[in-house]
Amino acid sequence: MSGTLLNAVWQGIVILVGGTLLGMIYKGLDRKLAAQMQGRIGPPIRQPFFDVIKLMVKENVVPDHAVGWLYNLMPLLSLASVATLLFYLPLGGFQPLLGGFGDLILILYLLAVPSIAMVLGGFAAGSPLATVGAQREMVMMMAYEFPLAITFLSLGWTLSTFMPGAHVFSLSVLAANPLWGMVGPLGVIGLILLFAALMIVTPAELAKIPFDIPEAETEIAGGILAEYSGRNMAMFYLADAIKMVVMGSLTVALFFPYGLSGLVGLSGAWGSVIDVAFYLVKVFVVIFFAVIVVRVAFARIKIGQAARLFWLPITGISLLGMLLLTLDRFV
Amino acid sequence: MNGLTSGFGAWNPIAWALLFVGILVVSFIVRSLGNKGYKRGTGQTKVFLSGNEEPDTPDALHVRGDHLYWGMIDGLSAYYRRVKAWHTGILSDYVAWFVGVLGLVFVILVLVR
Repeated sequence: MSGTLLNAVWQGIVILVGGTLLGMIYKGLDRKLAAQMQGRIGPPIRQPFFDVIKLMVKENVVPDHAVGWLYNLMPLLSLASVATLLFYLPLGGFQPLLGGFGDLILILYLLAVPSIAMVLGGFAAGSPLATVGAQREMVMMMAYEFPLAITFLSLGWTLSTFMPGAHVFSLSVLAANPLWGMVGPLGVIGLILLFAALMIVTPAELAKIPFDIPEAETEIAGGILAEYSGRNMAMFYLADAIKMVVMGSLTVALFFPYGLSGLVGLSGAWGSVIDVAFYLVKVFVVIFFAVIVVRVAFARIKIGQAARLFWLPITGISLLGMLLLTLDRFV
Repeated sequence: MNGLTSGFGAWNPIAWALLFVGILVVSFIVRSLGNKGYKRGTGQTKVFLSGNEEPDTPDALHVRGDHLYWGMIDGLSAYYRRVKAWHTGILSDYVAWFVGVLGLVFVILVLVR
């Protein structure tokens, strides 16, 4: 029993440290590649590590009219809540450490917690610009949660028609049974639409261009984060890095859970190594197309446009995907 | 460790709470390694207002609550215009809507069955 617990703690530390480091590296790649696409040299890939170290030694200013305890607590809540998500996701081809203790529905709720923490931190800052940013973040959440929920529910429901009685919302079950090979042509089109919806929700979840509306440096001077500095800002920075890994891993687990070890006939340690490497590439590809390419190609949209975009076309795409999957199963 | 099982998935709130508290403690320790100091009562602690004079009272910095859902209402203005027009404030109208929707749900249920 104590050996099992020790093993779980050890694995937990690896997940926590590994997820954070990975997020920082992907953040560095994001900045480097975005710069290269724009004809700039860009910072070194290790730049996010320097940024966090620098933030930790900078002064941690709390504005005069801020609600101090809330203002200081929210960066910690944001980081801790987003880090818990790593434990419910299959990472590197391995089963989720807490796979039996939480499913996709829990992940849907947990994804909202870091954003709510940022909203509360923004309101607690006692600054008009941070308040406007916090209001925008709330509207963003209300906008993208619906298509995200439709995507998750459609995948779980479709799998339930093939595997009645199974825990179809469990990430382990979803990752072990990719739907691409199960459904017919209509279902494949439905899955493509759901995948597209998730890829558009991803930059919104991460508050990246064109959905960096709550921060909007050129309009509201960083908005929700305008007053944060020093070590509090470092916590939000780390939370953002981990959330990038979470969204990439979630997309991979739901739509591309395949490994390479079986294909090349490797097992054991070498099989794990090649599966981990393949997982890192898959997460990178998701981040590359959902975040890096999109933020280089588009300008920031307005909050009203974002609400309309998610409630009409993107919800429409995800509902159409759900309808096609339903038709595929019953027609 | 027992949790909640829906038949389609599971959630164990105690496991999540333990994990959350554990990571919160780790995050707190990491943050405490950073600099906690700043210069109180200086211009540093005035909020950023794009170069405008910062007022001394919090009330003067307050953003009203009716702006909260502005983005949503503006983005879906066509929908809200129509829905607001239906809100007459007359109780019998709301009861009529309730009965009508209930009837529609029954018809759908009968059709589905």
